[in-house]
Amino acid sequence: MMDSRDANATHCPGPTAFSRRRMLKIGASGLLPGLTLPRFLQLQATAGTGSTPRAKSCIFLFLQGGPSTIDMWDLKPDAPVEVRGPYKPISTKVPGTFVGEHCHRTAKIADKMTMLRTHSHNDNGHTTGCHYLFTGQRAAFADGANSRVPVNDLYPSVGSVVSRELGPRGGVPPYINVPHPLTAGGPGFYGAEHAPFVIESDPVQPDFEVKDLLPDAKLGDIRNRRRQELLRAIQPEGNRVGAAGTMSTYYEKARGLISSPTARLAFDLSKENDKTRDAYGRTSLGQCSLLARRLVASGCRFVGVDHGSWDTHFTCFPSLEKELIPHADMAFSALVSDLADRGMLDETLVVMMGEMGRTPRVNAQAGRDHWSMAQTVLFAGGGIVPGKVIGATDKNGTQPTADPVSIQDILRTIFHLMGIDSDKTYYTPLGRPVPVVSGGRIIDSLLGA
Amino acid sequence: MIQLAFFRRQHCAMVMVLLLACSPSAFCQISVSPASIELDGPESTVQLAVWKPLPGGRVLELTRMARYQIIDGNAAGIDANGLVQPKADGNATLEISHAGETRRVPVVVKGVKHPQPVSFATQVVPILTKSGCNSGGCHGKAEGQNGFKLTVFGYDAAADHQAIVVEGRGRRVSTGAPMSSLLLLKGTAAVPHGGGRKIVEGSHQYKLVARWLAEGARFDDAVAGETVRLEVEPATSRMAPGESRQLRVVSVGADGRRRCVTTEAEFDTNAPNVAGADRKGLLRAGDVPGEAAVLVRYMNQVAVCRVTLPGSNSGFPRPPEVNFIDTLAWNKLSGLGLAPAGLADDSTYMRRVYLDTIGTLPTAAEARAFLLDKTPEKRALLADALFRRPEYADYRALLWSDLLRVDRDALKAQGSVAMARWLRHAFATNMPYDKFARAIITARGGISGDSPASFYKVLDNSESMTRSVSQLFLGVRIECAQCHHHPSEKWGQDDYVALAGFFTGVGKKVLPDGSEAIVAGPAVDLKHPRTKVLVPARPLGGAPVAADLPDRREALADWMLHPSNPYFARAAANRIWAHYFGHGLVEPIDDLRATNPAVNEELLDALAGHLRDVKYDLIAFTKSIVASRLYQLAAAADAGDERNFSRSMPRTLPAEVLLDAVCQVTGVPEKFSGWPVGARAIQLWDNRMPSYFLQVFGRPVRATVCACERGADPSISQALHLMNSPEIQARIRSRKGVAARLAASSLPPDAIVDELYLSCLARFPTPMERAAMVRIFGDGQEARRSAAEDALWAIINTREFVYNH
Repeated sequence: MMDSRDANATHCPGPTAFSRRRMLKIGASGLLPGLTLPRFLQLQATAGTGSTPRAKSCIFLFLQGGPSTIDMWDLKPDAPVEVRGPYKPISTKVPGTFVGEHCHRTAKIADKMTMLRTHSHNDNGHTTGCHYLFTGQRAAFADGANSRVPVNDLYPSVGSVVSRELGPRGGVPPYINVPHPLTAGGPGFYGAEHAPFVIESDPVQPDFEVKDLLPDAKLGDIRNRRRQELLRAIQPEGNRVGAAGTMSTYYEKARGLISSPTARLAFDLSKENDKTRDAYGRTSLGQCSLLARRLVASGCRFVGVDHGSWDTHFTCFPSLEKELIPHADMAFSALVSDLADRGMLDETLVVMMGEMGRTPRVNAQAGRDHWSMAQTVLFAGGGIVPGKVIGATDKNGTQPTADPVSIQDILRTIFHLMGIDSDKTYYTPLGRPVPVVSGGRIIDSLLGA
Repeated sequence: MIQLAFFRRQHCAMVMVLLLACSPSAFCQISVSPASIELDGPESTVQLAVWKPLPGGRVLELTRMARYQIIDGNAAGIDANGLVQPKADGNATLEISHAGETRRVPVVVKGVKHPQPVSFATQVVPILTKSGCNSGGCHGKAEGQNGFKLTVFGYDAAADHQAIVVEGRGRRVSTGAPMSSLLLLKGTAAVPHGGGRKIVEGSHQYKLVARWLAEGARFDDAVAGETVRLEVEPATSRMAPGESRQLRVVSVGADGRRRCVTTEAEFDTNAPNVAGADRKGLLRAGDVPGEAAVLVRYMNQVAVCRVTLPGSNSGFPRPPEVNFIDTLAWNKLSGLGLAPAGLADDSTYMRRVYLDTIGTLPTAAEARAFLLDKTPEKRALLADALFRRPEYADYRALLWSDLLRVDRDALKAQGSVAMARWLRHAFATNMPYDKFARAIITARGGISGDSPASFYKVLDNSESMTRSVSQLFLGVRIECAQCHHHPSEKWGQDDYVALAGFFTGVGKKVLPDGSEAIVAGPAVDLKHPRTKVLVPARPLGGAPVAADLPDRREALADWMLHPSNPYFARAAANRIWAHYFGHGLVEPIDDLRATNPAVNEELLDALAGHLRDVKYDLIAFTKSIVASRLYQLAAAADAGDERNFSRSMPRTLPAEVLLDAVCQVTGVPEKFSGWPVGARAIQLWDNRMPSYFLQVFGRPVRATVCACERGADPSISQALHLMNSPEIQARIRSRKGVAARLAASSLPPDAIVDELYLSCLARFPTPMERAAMVRIFGDGQEARRSAAEDALWAIINTREFVYNH
């Protein structure tokens, strides 16, 4: 498989930097029949010309189940009562821009983010919607089938693409999921090498730690090194079949983690003071967001935070106003402010969204059902133009009034901001070409146009 | 340039095909189906298929290459894909030409000027189904979508008609202005629609729905037009990588009428890498050799086209045959062109049969003795001995505790212990499987007594009992039919409630001592959820049972265990097979149906027959499996076949087995809270025993009867745990452990390395491995100890140790 870290490097390492093995890997990827070394070097030298990417990392706060954005960021105060719901809009730091009353913290940082109110697609399922969102490809399975993770066994997720294209820039893995694996966050045909490192532990727990990160210190470096050398000596490469082959890849990743002191520091939330931890909220989403900031500061490229319980079909308002919205409001606003205070916001893209929105009309059980035709998405940092509201939905919030934004548009924009070529094509094991994003266009208004 | 090579290979294959096709022989003639075409109604279509037979059972697909012309009359038209559509009543002749050959097909068109009224049930509902309107993710889900609720997959046309025409104050249809009906406006996304555009304006589906609306949006009970059978043509297809083939789907009505429904039918496949079909019914082969079942679904009926994609090596010499398993396996593999791997060596066989049969590694002493044994039949003798060991019963009881949901949180300790003890006893005494199944199905009595009664404790109503028993013992996932007709089976809701009627007499009772018991009294029939008519209890595809039995479950067990039962023995054979080969002949292992065939049907049938022949003696049956050469094939070393058993695939060890293996090779047992020292993880009845190791390696929570709950996916966390965890470090470094003991012995370094290899991998090290290991041994006790520890650590972290090969 082609390793594009090189292709995106800012300096040209020259021919000596290429091992034979790497060239074999490039050849075997089938990237382009006839790709020769000079041609490859030429590609490498021209990579990155055009725009200078500003986002080095992305924190993706995923509100799984479908957030009720009509109650949060796109209120309809003039709609009939069964549509507008019980919440009042409040003004924000940006004159003329309003959000729901339970998003008062986000209102205060409205100048640092931009709301896109026209995200729209037509897959109303959870597992299929997650698949569509994270891969930009329609699910080939029925919704609800196979909810064991990951469900994207063919197409790579956005995080896996970032991992492949940008690679690590520090001691932590380039792609991390916390506190659970994202339903469709898998690597697809990119393979285990681009699977997320999943921190199987919730940072909101008092005894949170990433287990087994370090070898036994009592052994000392010499013996730990000897063990790894011995293992390499008795286990030749090859014979990588099925699950056992996958395990080998995980071993390589685990070794990378162990040998990194920055990783240990990045995962250590106890280094944060109580004030900061409180500001993010002592919730799963809050503490995961804080951890995400630490991971990004240590070089992680893509952190996917999985936050559930947004599928509010029944009696939605009590749980929305008491838990879901405040948790999201605190986590998002604290994360954006914190990144800004540390001077990291410019190079860190923050996205908060779910796989769908909710029905404008409140149902008979006082809940809202799935509504993928209109969802508001929050963006901050990473080179987007802040303080804007992009697009609008109609009077009842049923659909965008103009120019709906597709999943492919969002993915393409994320990749653009990170300096990734969305038209780059890889071949599936069966030889079918699959571009990083099929279709879509960059959301110019998010970039300032 | 693997891809390039691949395409070149393809290209050569294509050239050869063309050469063959052009040789002057009988194979040269093109074939066309159907021989004559009858179109009835303005929206009817007939899909044509054109091909040329090739030697070896393959065909050259021509439907999209042939030239079409209507030469006589103007009644019909045809597009480039070979889809014939009516234009006006009358006759026409269709001429098909390709490479100088021509065929003519007469076309008769009627019912265009005076069409039969559109049938809601047989024409409109299939459109809603193929467009996904009534899918489970949309209006078909139990609560509907945005107030509009259809029956999932359109199983209940009357309810769908009601929903479309009457509910919502009739606002969804306008018979006066059909094009303004909300149904069409939403379906074409002319007004906002959560599902987006599902029907294209002006398409044949659109016209059909529009005409139905214009005709008054009537409901017809349409018994005459009801599809009673579906035929797919071809029913089997032998293909080469990358080839395509046009399918034709014909619905046969209750009145015997045959209609082409290729455009209306839905297509699905069980092996997308081997073959699949698109919406138009164009079959496409992938490039992974094997077999695929392409499922065709229309109006509650299903049909299957079985596709074979042979590999390149069909002429391999047939290996020896130990028993019927090998005979049938080599038959299948020859047809697939997949040469079986060679015979595994003694070490591989030994480790494999130990781990599969008793969930335990051989010790170094056992391995040494077996490897040096010169007895010719030593493999069979080894297997015989394993089935007599207590770990056999421990391990089988553990795996069945998963399936029977022995969850301490649900059963309390008493219930869990009782079930675990009963299971262990059943396997220790080799209880015949029919007796075993009957005991579980008809269980009653105290849940802490010596019985499997606690199975019914975790199932809280007759329906969950039905679903669990059906999936567990019949391999039929009947739960689909709880809410709707099974999407890929013949079972409907009546079959479901009829089966549930066997369990309505089962109840729970609190005994005077406060413990719980399962009781079984007279049962009652259940109502059909839709029609509210009582459905007499009857087994799947069987006759109703007498209403007044003291315990109907006995009658169900009689039916299941009858030699003619088509499910019971097959499901059992497949389950055992899956355990010994890492995956079933049918996957998922408890989802047996015509539309999900076994990769080797003849073999599964023969195994089911064998299980009956040995009177459900599980040990006798399993011995036949492990004796077969197929079971003893060498492990896969590179990419290739993973489904057809042409070689042994590495399989994940259950969490408990791996933990026991680590304990055994380090010589330091795990201490489970409340258990005596030396207790092994495979003996634990307590699935909630705190253990990070068991959690991270995928111990199931036993929430369902599905074997799929046991996680088999590797993760970084597993790698980190094996390399770094303090728990495993402590074992390796223990003063009482194997490494310390070997270091303190008088053995020279190479003998220590031999011992470690034998205990971990049941083999001697290769010279290269031995040299690498011996090199780290220094002089002095401390150096020997650290070297032994590091050597042990390295072996535990190899793929070879962590997997069963």
